[in-house]
Amino acid sequence: MIDNGKTQQQLQQQLPLSRVRTIMKSSMDTGLITNEVLFLMTRCTELFVQHFAREAYTASLSKRSGETLKYEHLSQLVNKNKYLEFLLQIVPEKIRVSEFLEMLRLNRSSASDEDYETGTESEMEDE
Amino acid sequence: MVERIEDLNLPNAVIARLIKDALPDGSNVSKEARVAIAKAASVFVIFITSSSTALAHKQNHRTITAKDILQTLNELDFESFVPSLTQDLEAYRKMVKDKKESKANSKKDISTGDATASSSSAAAAAAADNEDANK
Repeated sequence: MIDNGKTQQQLQQQLPLSRVRTIMKSSMDTGLITNEVLFLMTRCTELFVQHFAREAYTASLSKRSGETLKYEHLSQLVNKNKYLEFLLQIVPEKIRVSEFLEMLRLNRSSASDEDYETGTESEMEDE
Repeated sequence: MVERIEDLNLPNAVIARLIKDALPDGSNVSKEARVAIAKAASVFVIFITSSSTALAHKQNHRTITAKDILQTLNELDFESFVPSLTQDLEAYRKMVKDKKESKANSKKDISTGDATASSSSAAAAAAADNEDANK
């Protein structure tokens, strides 16, 4: 019984089911959405939100605490990972010119990190 | 139906809480990052839904099932979600089943339920006997 209560609490999804259903319906040539599928999709989206935030944070800021997760951390992550390709049009769409330039700079420097691991330092000094 | 584009947004407060839980203590999230994550989550729902639907249609099913979603996640490199979701799904199914049972139990007493069941099966057996006899 105690176990039961625990699982019920774990099962409590935080995102509103009705909203998730609306979003799902907007995409499909709509078939039925069973409660089970709706539950699964909602949980899945919660996992995605946390995964996305965590990955972006650790990729850019490692495991340091007390930092601020910023937009460019997200767009960098999306640009670098094939599995997030579906977000390419979504995440860059929202940025401002200043952020875009910043992102370009960060992308360039991180790209050269990978390409010429040893040459980065001297290159930066040149600039 | 979707009347306004805002209807596709997920609630800010919930997204903020989810993000906070995922990050180390004391870390912050800029507003732009939070909005972007919320948008990304909406797109994620659409992306997974349409991929799952395509998968279901390929198997000549009209509605998507939990299995379709899990398989889609595997194919789209979100396989890290699957074990935890499978667990949640099992717990959810159990919860639904328990709910159904307790509802049924509260409607009629267990003993009378058993009695009806056994008497009805007896009746069915008798009916079958009758049919045999008629032949």
